[in-house]
Amino acid sequence: MDSLGYELSWYLRIAWLLPLLGFAIEVFGGYWGTRKTKTAAYLAIGCIAAGFVLSTVAFCRWNAETGAFSHSGEAAVHEEHASLRHIPFAGQAAVADHAEGHAAEHAEHGSGEHVHGEHASDGAEHGGAQHDEHHAEHQSIAALSGTIYTLGKFGDLEVSIDYYIDSLTILMFMMVTFIATCIHIFAVGYMSDELTEDYVDHFAHTSDGHHVHRPGRFYRFFSYFSLFSFSMLGICFAGNIFQVFVFWELVGICSYLLIGFYTERKSANVAANKAFIVNRVGDFGFIIGLMILWTYCGTFKFGDYEVDGHERPGLFSMVRGHDGELAQQGSDVILKTHGHDGHWQAPQEGESKTIPYTLLVVAGLGVFGGCIGKSAQFPLQTWLPDAMEGPTPVSALVHSATMVAAGVYLAGRFFPVFTTEVLLAIAYVGCITLFIAATIAIVATDIKKVLAYSTISQLGYMMLAIGLGGWAAGLFHLITHAFFKSLMFLCSGSVIHGCHHEQEMPKMGGLRRKMPITAYTMLVGVIAIAGLAIPGTGQLMSLLTFGAVDKPLAFSGFHSKDAIVATALAYTQLNPLHFLLFLTPLVTAGITAFYMFRLWFYTFAGDPRDHHVYDHCHESPKVMWVPLVVLSFFAAFCAANGEQGSLFGMLSFSEPVGLADGMTATGTAAIAVPSHHAVHDVHGTAGAVALLAAVLGTLTAYLLYCRKVVDPENIRNQFSGVYNFLVEKWQFDNLYDAAFVRPSHSVARWCAACDRNIFDAILHGSVKVCIWVATIDRKFDEGIVDGLVNLIGNVTRSVGLSLSVFQTGRMRQYVMFIAVGVVTLFALLFAFMPKA
Amino acid sequence: MEPSLSFLSLLIFLPTIGALLLVGFNKKAVEAMRFFTFGVTFLTFLLSVVLWNNFDASNAGIQPAADGISAEWIASWNIHYRLGYDGISLPLVMLTTFTTMLAALASWSINKLHKGYFILFLLLETGMLGVFLALDFFLFYVFWEVMLLPMYFLIGIWGGPRKEYAAIKFFLYTLAGSVLMLIAMLMFYYGSGGQFNLLELGRIAQGKSAGHSFDEFTQIVAFVLLFIGFAIKVPSFPFHTWLPDAHVEAPTPISMILAGVLLKMGGYGIIRIAFPLCPVGAHYAAYWLVAIGVISIIYGAFAALAQTDFKRLVAYSSVSHMGYVILGMAVWYVVPENGISVTANRDHWLMGMNGAMFQMIAHGVSSAGMFFMVGVIYDRVHHRDLNQFGGLAGKMPLYSGLAAGIFFAGLGLPGMCGFIGEVFVVLSAWSFSPLLAIIAASGVILTAGYILWTMQRVYLGSEYKGPHAEDITPINGREATVGFVLLGMAIFLGVYPAFIFNVMDGSMAQLVDSMEAGLQAAGVAINTAAQQASLLP
Repeated sequence: MDSLGYELSWYLRIAWLLPLLGFAIEVFGGYWGTRKTKTAAYLAIGCIAAGFVLSTVAFCRWNAETGAFSHSGEAAVHEEHASLRHIPFAGQAAVADHAEGHAAEHAEHGSGEHVHGEHASDGAEHGGAQHDEHHAEHQSIAALSGTIYTLGKFGDLEVSIDYYIDSLTILMFMMVTFIATCIHIFAVGYMSDELTEDYVDHFAHTSDGHHVHRPGRFYRFFSYFSLFSFSMLGICFAGNIFQVFVFWELVGICSYLLIGFYTERKSANVAANKAFIVNRVGDFGFIIGLMILWTYCGTFKFGDYEVDGHERPGLFSMVRGHDGELAQQGSDVILKTHGHDGHWQAPQEGESKTIPYTLLVVAGLGVFGGCIGKSAQFPLQTWLPDAMEGPTPVSALVHSATMVAAGVYLAGRFFPVFTTEVLLAIAYVGCITLFIAATIAIVATDIKKVLAYSTISQLGYMMLAIGLGGWAAGLFHLITHAFFKSLMFLCSGSVIHGCHHEQEMPKMGGLRRKMPITAYTMLVGVIAIAGLAIPGTGQLMSLLTFGAVDKPLAFSGFHSKDAIVATALAYTQLNPLHFLLFLTPLVTAGITAFYMFRLWFYTFAGDPRDHHVYDHCHESPKVMWVPLVVLSFFAAFCAANGEQGSLFGMLSFSEPVGLADGMTATGTAAIAVPSHHAVHDVHGTAGAVALLAAVLGTLTAYLLYCRKVVDPENIRNQFSGVYNFLVEKWQFDNLYDAAFVRPSHSVARWCAACDRNIFDAILHGSVKVCIWVATIDRKFDEGIVDGLVNLIGNVTRSVGLSLSVFQTGRMRQYVMFIAVGVVTLFALLFAFMPKA
Repeated sequence: MEPSLSFLSLLIFLPTIGALLLVGFNKKAVEAMRFFTFGVTFLTFLLSVVLWNNFDASNAGIQPAADGISAEWIASWNIHYRLGYDGISLPLVMLTTFTTMLAALASWSINKLHKGYFILFLLLETGMLGVFLALDFFLFYVFWEVMLLPMYFLIGIWGGPRKEYAAIKFFLYTLAGSVLMLIAMLMFYYGSGGQFNLLELGRIAQGKSAGHSFDEFTQIVAFVLLFIGFAIKVPSFPFHTWLPDAHVEAPTPISMILAGVLLKMGGYGIIRIAFPLCPVGAHYAAYWLVAIGVISIIYGAFAALAQTDFKRLVAYSSVSHMGYVILGMAVWYVVPENGISVTANRDHWLMGMNGAMFQMIAHGVSSAGMFFMVGVIYDRVHHRDLNQFGGLAGKMPLYSGLAAGIFFAGLGLPGMCGFIGEVFVVLSAWSFSPLLAIIAASGVILTAGYILWTMQRVYLGSEYKGPHAEDITPINGREATVGFVLLGMAIFLGVYPAFIFNVMDGSMAQLVDSMEAGLQAAGVAINTAAQQASLLP
């Protein structure tokens, strides 16, 4: 199976690197093309579409080897869920027939390319569905990992660029490349007004009040898009947590560039800065997590790896071993460094590597801090709504479907390292976020802002699911959400484009008559996110498909939200103390349906409220509505058959080991996690109440905004306090400004002043002292030393004068002086000469 | 080919020869002098490439011969003209020739007394190369001083309005450091029975030389003297205030050299002299060093945030970035084991050392780039007030793109050189002191803050707000070349840092192990605050 990992890694590697190549060419579009050419766009589309094709190839190969997708319908028969626990996660599968010589040969190639860690026995091609209690003989592929090249190696520590491929990786590749392709195509139409030498930016003004004129930047938009695609795929491809961090920051900078695409607009620049800096706050936590893991585990790799022919456990194996259990000993966790063939255990005797339990918690919280920033979770959610300053395709791709979902992806990917306490924190953060964002969405009037808050809220759902142990449910929602949210953003883009950059919903209304395709594809998205279904159709479906399908007829959002709510219900049954983790998402499901239908009714239904906007509005060109139709198809049907469907099955295939059986209450938080069985048992109830909530929300929206039973204006006036609080986004922006931004500027001024007034003052002071000393010195010299010298000089002179009496000029007298002098000298010499 | 003594001497003195030849130039032949100077620096760069290609990475010791290659210089004082290089100095030699070459290209903006400028410029390069190649303490000291004088005049004559103040401040600070170094040098000379050979002194410190040893007291005092001397050069808090003034007044190419190379001498001095000669002192002061590094990072970043002068801001960013160098070098955590002091975090410390060295190279590239970018716009509008820029992205798109790339490198964006150095240092720091590591890591937020805020004020926005708007012309070919080369280098090192690590790792490992040996040889009982502060078992 080495070859499989090698082969797959190359498909994905090319899919990953193609957009980078595209970026390198497109960014110089101003030099090789005119401002009116669309070549850059075609190049970008070509790169990302080729990436999609390659991802599909990888997907088919993976499916052929594992049957993860095609057989999962059977695997999901609930009694067999238990067998999933035997599928080792995270590179713990055997390396049984791994040829060491082969590895050595690869190592010699200098690329560090050795594919290992995974092995499927002969039975592997029968797929996950075939696995049962005989798993021990039937190792399955869980993940494939390997190293591409080394960044630095210090003793035993090695930082490298790796890959790690499992179902999740491949699904993320498929999802990202597919959605990105659709959005790229949409953007060709949306950004077409940039195809000019003289673009007038109506939202940017010069000091004399004119609009800013500038050349169009069509090529640059697509170059940023390509760079973003590269970075995003890099996160999915990454085989170690350090590498995730690298691309994590790169998507951050792409997001910065794209939010601030209209560089002339101050609001766009501020939003871009805010996005990056708030993300860095999260990344600060991420770095702390990295530091702890690096210090105690000594590796960043997810999967197992080899050093000089010796197997070493990756992070996941080290923490969880092959059975998914933490090896706790007192306040420490013993790292499972002992073993081979993917079976890692705590060493029995001798030296064991340990990490304090608290630090493992801190590390998990730290890495999750990064997820909070990227996925705009509470308390770092404030940047995402502002990020809507970017062009709408950016909002669709970066700020709803892919990048912001990266936080959820990482929480899922890094799941094995999270302890119970961390999971509980994740659940509560998700829970708080989904509620706060949903409440703000109710009062937002900018069509993109509503979608932005709904994105935050839905990301909260995903985080909640992961925190509750509903790993597959959370990532399931990630995928379905990506489809329907990108669809809705593109629809809103279509509206904005059609209405000539009008984004305020109060000025719209009745648009479905002018732009029917947009309106009804949007409706698909709204129904999907609201989680509506046709009750009772489950029986019908079951009859029609001979029992293979027993889910009611519904769009994707219903299935994934259903899975989350069911997990939450099962969870609160086990942990009654945390009942809010079920109630909040349930209530919010109603709120979601309400604000989404409010948006639709506001925009597309009823009568036009602003005739100027309505009269000039038009349906978007084909290049824009075709992606809408394609995406709406997937938004509707990608999750067909819910948890028995192929998509969910494929995700479950890579679920961390031990989750299927649930976890019993351990650790300080004393939290139990429900088993799949328990979740299944409450599925019917949960689905019913969630649907009820959604229907209630929808009805309320219908009554308020379509039937106008009560004027929303009255409600607003009645509850003006609450309303203003929500419009002010729960005061987070003001709070952070007062608590962090202004204080740091003050500290900065103190530091600068400290340099001027203390360090330099000390220096200048000492220089002054030196000068003062020098002045004294000079006075001393002039007054005393010189005085002395002068005195001596004077004395000498007068002595000389007085001696001049001897200078008689008489020869005989001189000779006598010399003779006397010589005699005296000799006398002295003899008197004082040391005795030999 | 084994580089000989004359080859190394040629590398050092080729710029001097160039300077002598420049004397014969007609002082009006400005263009000829510019190209000649660039040619000389380019040749020097090629020579250093030859050196790089002949480097044997598997040999951790000094090359081309184990004790360097030497000729007797002042016999009565046992002073030798001893040259050599290893994985620690070679990257810095490369950095010097590389940066100087680009600075020569940036010297087109010098507009008075060209002949004197280029002569001093070349002499400066000789001084710098000499420092990095000298293995005799006395010779090192001589080159250290040789480099000082041209710098003084280059700032003092070709500088801005307050050039005299800045030049004197620079000179006095550095001289104070030199004096401390001189005292330490004499301590070692007399303590070793008359040795200036750095390698021999290192062996004595490790206890591998019969007859002589440096006792604990000598090592600690000497270390403190040397460290202050070198820390002034780095510069680290609280000895950093000369740097903003020197940078603000210095002409662009001199700022590039100052930030790109001169600051590295401080870090190099610590690694080449202070550490191997006084392992006990290094261990004794480790916690203070780490703390100084961390304070420099945070303090520098905060101070940068408050600046309104573009160049001053970049200067403070240097203080912040060089803090990582001090931090990375010092994360040496020692525990007693059976009565012997043993390095507990050997690999992490090695990583910190490597990261610190890499950070020096990375900062050399990125800060030279940043100063160059400031210079490009200064040459056009003749002011540096951050509040009077704006909208340059529209007027100078290529320049703004290059500048954005280089500023991102300074911001520590992954995929560019700054990231590798910073993050490797920070990752290694937890094993020494979690608290200080966390504070250091918080620098990423501040760095993002001041860099992005600066970029917003200078490059973004709807229009240019300052004077001389009519002089804003697109970047020319020469400037673009410098920008592209620096940006390309920043990306290359960020994507493939092993290019540098492969060269220096062996020498670093040897240094790390020899310092442990030195500490053990001194037999000092170890129990300092550093250990208690760490959470390591």
